[in-house]
Amino acid sequence: MKKLLMSSAATLALAVSAQAADVKVGSVGGITGPIAEIVADVYEGRNLAAKHVNEQGGMFAGDTLVMVPGDGACDPKAAVDAATKVVNVDQVVAIVGASCSGETNAMVQAVTIPAGVVNVSDSATAPSITDLADNDLVFRIAPSDAYQGYALADYVLKSGVTKVALTYSNDDYNAGLGKVFEKAFQEKGGTITSAQVHEPNKASYRAEVQTLSGGEPEALVLFAYYGSSGISITRNALETGSFTKFFGADGMINEETIKQIGAENLQDAAYTTPGADDTTASYTAYAALASAGGLRNAFGPYVPNGYDATFLMALAIEKAGAPDRTKIAAALREVANAPGEVILPGEWEKAKALIAAGTDINYQGVSGEIEFDAKGDVSGVYTLNTVTPEGTFKTVLLK
Amino acid sequence: MDGYALYVVGLLTAGGIYAILALALNLQWGFTGLFNAGIAGFFAVGAYVSVILTAPESPTIIGGYGLPLVVGCGAAMIASGLVAWGIGRVCIRLRSDYLAIATIGIAEILRLVFKNESWATNGPRGIAGIPKAFEWVPYPWNQVAFLGMVLATVLVIYLALETAWRSPWGRVMTAIRDSEAAAKASGKDVERFRLESFILGAAIMGLGGAYFAQYLKYFGPETSDPTSVTFLVWVMLIMGGSGNNRGAVLGALLLWAIWSATELLTSMLPPDWAVRSAYLRIFLIGLVLQVVLQRYSKGILPETRPAVVGTSTRAGATTGNAT
Repeated sequence: MKKLLMSSAATLALAVSAQAADVKVGSVGGITGPIAEIVADVYEGRNLAAKHVNEQGGMFAGDTLVMVPGDGACDPKAAVDAATKVVNVDQVVAIVGASCSGETNAMVQAVTIPAGVVNVSDSATAPSITDLADNDLVFRIAPSDAYQGYALADYVLKSGVTKVALTYSNDDYNAGLGKVFEKAFQEKGGTITSAQVHEPNKASYRAEVQTLSGGEPEALVLFAYYGSSGISITRNALETGSFTKFFGADGMINEETIKQIGAENLQDAAYTTPGADDTTASYTAYAALASAGGLRNAFGPYVPNGYDATFLMALAIEKAGAPDRTKIAAALREVANAPGEVILPGEWEKAKALIAAGTDINYQGVSGEIEFDAKGDVSGVYTLNTVTPEGTFKTVLLK
Repeated sequence: MDGYALYVVGLLTAGGIYAILALALNLQWGFTGLFNAGIAGFFAVGAYVSVILTAPESPTIIGGYGLPLVVGCGAAMIASGLVAWGIGRVCIRLRSDYLAIATIGIAEILRLVFKNESWATNGPRGIAGIPKAFEWVPYPWNQVAFLGMVLATVLVIYLALETAWRSPWGRVMTAIRDSEAAAKASGKDVERFRLESFILGAAIMGLGGAYFAQYLKYFGPETSDPTSVTFLVWVMLIMGGSGNNRGAVLGALLLWAIWSATELLTSMLPPDWAVRSAYLRIFLIGLVLQVVLQRYSKGILPETRPAVVGTSTRAGATTGNAT
């Protein structure tokens, strides 16, 4: 008994000393709320990056990188509350997140900018975040929506379709994307037979689909989250025989879409997502690490971005030399932007050694090369996702 | 300032704004028995009106007049009051459950208007860069000053409602709530009193919206989501004690504290649990609510009738409690 007590006391002492050397980073996002399923996968990506850091020597002289979760629920009120906690109670050095644009917008303006804490969002894409007066504290490695709308418009035209009907869900993400697509497609010479906004979470969209099918469009371009309206609209379109060809974006990419619609009905569907260039060394390195790490959906929407955001944040803190909030922003640009020795995902030990030696490094992410511009934005890489007859998504790079 | 202290500042700020909303609902439901299920609608009207008047000029929204925040708050109250007046003229005669249905519908209509009229409100993209009171004070004292403003407002509204509660006006309200027919028989203009209570409560809710927009510095349609506004405020009032102003404030602060602080516990779980622990937290909140409501069926601070001056010798001073 005495032995047991002593050993547990020893473990406790160990635990306490380990805790004293924690480097805490907030991990805020929409864990609950409208896109909970997507965010769950993104958190796996973030946690995998933290695991790689800790397995290969950790931060500084062996400190542990700890990701402190905060549930922003894709709701500005919850996000401000969650960020207040991680910034003040947990005293995090910096924040990875948040997920949704409105959530991120409120979080950075109400909490992190006044407190002087750097944040890197892995999936907030609203253009309004670019121009915030942020004292150079707000970064993101999800490209602004403006780029994806153009990429998809290009692809639709290249695939020989020139007349489409367009509908988008009335939420911050899909509506923004829809508007950019509408403009881009027409600029490039395509015709939009009808464009319609729809409210998510309705029981049936037959009336909308009927209207959209007027004017002989060749395909339906649909920007929606699969759970709230995407699946219903696709189903109604197929049932009424109005459309067989579909284009869309990341909101639709989920196994549930295939499960509910049936792979055989989606052979003419294609969805874009900010993704990863599979010809790069970063991609290969990450793919191997992700499968070893047991990620359920390693290339799901914003999962590579989640990995990159976390890994990059760890590099920046290491580069700053101390868990000091004021030094992270400058360090973030140094480790992400060229020039410098190239660091691939998972190469923490190498990066740590180079930083210690004072060599400049340049992290090449899975989601792109990650070169921050003056506003803390990146330009993106997109992938195209199609459905195989076996009922899985096939991902190829969009060029 | 210490981190925990700053967290408490944030906690009390959001909790205080919810207390303003709960007090307003207490005026409508606790005093007069008006089942307003459209809190989110008045909240949103107040927020958008104040933002449009006070925000700097921007191509994405109408207005952007950059007016002083006080003007924004005043206009928010007037606008919400006016909307309530319009609704009240049509619906106030409805009995409580029908009024609930009407107000839910109207709140949804308002939310959809704000969401779809992108030219005015930037639609689902929301409005960023909203000015906030005391921003010129150095950090972190600006947060403290803002909290001071919120708490002072709670205090003013609380004192005003306490006075109203004890006044003849308040007695008419409770009389109407307990028996409309009896109040009518005593010669009271029931409809007018109900309308007054509805408009006054809605104006205070508008002020709550204006404060929340300032606090978050961002406002979008997801901010006035009915679950986290209407539903939560109702639970706060019922938990604290409907008909009791102190109960309304206590319920708001307590529930918000539970809502927020449970995350401090669940975030201690290993990171692999991060996703699951968020749901564990919602479960915990539900559990706490169940326990509180089972234990205190009339709320933590139940309604008490103010003693009637000059009749303290009679036991009748406490009769006529709500059932």
